Amino acid sequence: MATDERVVVEFDQHTPEYRETYPAKAHELREQCPVAWSTKHDGFWIVTGHDALSALSKRPDLLSSDHDPDGERNGYEGISIPARGSTRGGFIEMDPPEQSEYRRVLNPFLSPAAVMKWEPLIADFTRACIDEVIEAGRLDFVDDFANIIPAVLTMAMLGLPLADWEIYCEPAHMQVYTPPDSPNFDHMMEVTFRMVERLAEYVQIRKTEPRPGMISALLNAKVMGEFLPDDGIIGTVSLLIGGGFDTTTSLLAGSLNWLDTHPVERARLVDDADLMNSATEEFLRHFTPAQGGGRTITQDCEVGGFEFAEGDRVFLSFAMCNHDPAAFPDPDEIVLDRFPNPHAAFGLGVHRCIGSNLARLGFKHMLRECLRRMADYRVDQAGAVQYESIGVINGFKHLPATFTPGRREGPPLAEVMSTWQARLDAEPAPENLRAGTGV
Amino acid sequence: MARVVVNAEACQGHTLCNMVAPDIFHLREEDGHSYVVVDELTAEQEPLARKAELGCPERAITVED
Repeated sequence: MATDERVVVEFDQHTPEYRETYPAKAHELREQCPVAWSTKHDGFWIVTGHDALSALSKRPDLLSSDHDPDGERNGYEGISIPARGSTRGGFIEMDPPEQSEYRRVLNPFLSPAAVMKWEPLIADFTRACIDEVIEAGRLDFVDDFANIIPAVLTMAMLGLPLADWEIYCEPAHMQVYTPPDSPNFDHMMEVTFRMVERLAEYVQIRKTEPRPGMISALLNAKVMGEFLPDDGIIGTVSLLIGGGFDTTTSLLAGSLNWLDTHPVERARLVDDADLMNSATEEFLRHFTPAQGGGRTITQDCEVGGFEFAEGDRVFLSFAMCNHDPAAFPDPDEIVLDRFPNPHAAFGLGVHRCIGSNLARLGFKHMLRECLRRMADYRVDQAGAVQYESIGVINGFKHLPATFTPGRREGPPLAEVMSTWQARLDAEPAPENLRAGTGV
Repeated sequence: MARVVVNAEACQGHTLCNMVAPDIFHLREEDGHSYVVVDELTAEQEPLARKAELGCPERAITVED
């Protein structure tokens, strides 16, 4: 595209300014152009219009997610803008057909039918986490609640020790909320590196000690007669930790914070159980925890009326497209029974969040239980801390609250942890297709 | 009578159609992608199918007259 034709803006999704002006910022950008060129981070297209997003998402052939830090294929920079890391982030940084093969292996663990298996675990840990704070009448919705349940669930589904959730907790959250220009960035990269190293060790261990779950499934999978490469598996396990730990957490914190200041809507949600489905979609739309994804244009092309050049970087802002008034009337209002609500909070196209069914299941249960057992909770706004950058995930570090104390309803968290670990350990190990192959 | 079709290429398994009309759209066991289980839509089903069409994020659903 000729430089003189493009609408140039200075937009950086990692700044405090974006955090403070989301979602209104979307309108300012979209009114200039739904596909504008930002001069930040070496230049990238920022997509804020829902129609443009729909058109672009249908063309994985033109929009690559590939991350090729070693320059073996195309040198593309993956889904982070600015680019980060010297390794590929699992199948989210691959294109079809390679990407489809990983999803084919993992889909059976994450389909609507499959995730129902985990409902009892979600229920037990939700109950136990609330029990830990119910007598005190105060908690931090992030630290004491929303950080724990999705993380333990992710451990269980991967086939890793449940109690290890705590080791991965800090890096999993730090890696999404630390802005690229932060003085903590190097520390974040270091703890992330150690997390990946530890996961890499577990991938090796599962080669000889298979356990039910996604790691062993990835190790057993073959594509065109070959096992998947170690780095692809390790990247994918890291991706599943990131996706599993931080997104539902952020959705829950945003929703609980909003309900704190909207008592009428909160009462409606409590009184009308049928509202939970549409309310969940509306919270997803409004907060859009995973704010967007970067892509690289694979060839000079025109999509949706916009021209792109090979190698151009594009940021698909699911969050800002979710506030496009052309698709969502009164887009900045949370309307609990909004319909239709064809939001892009899980992304659009072949990269639709693979954990979406699990996210909905966990979110609804956790929110319902908060509203039931801490019915009069009030957030301590002075202690609420949003993520420093919401450019990757729109979430909270801390969200303290108080409520009228209540009674415990079951055994303590530590006991639930060991009971579930024992239950999972008792499941028979899957077949080990790598046994004796030396790979 | 109207019919409804899901474009299997476009469907990515958002599952919103199944939330609106579970009797019309079922979800595949292996990946949660949608498929239609009714041939012709009854008078009661047609408005539900149209709701699903409007609500699909991938615009993968079409009601045909």
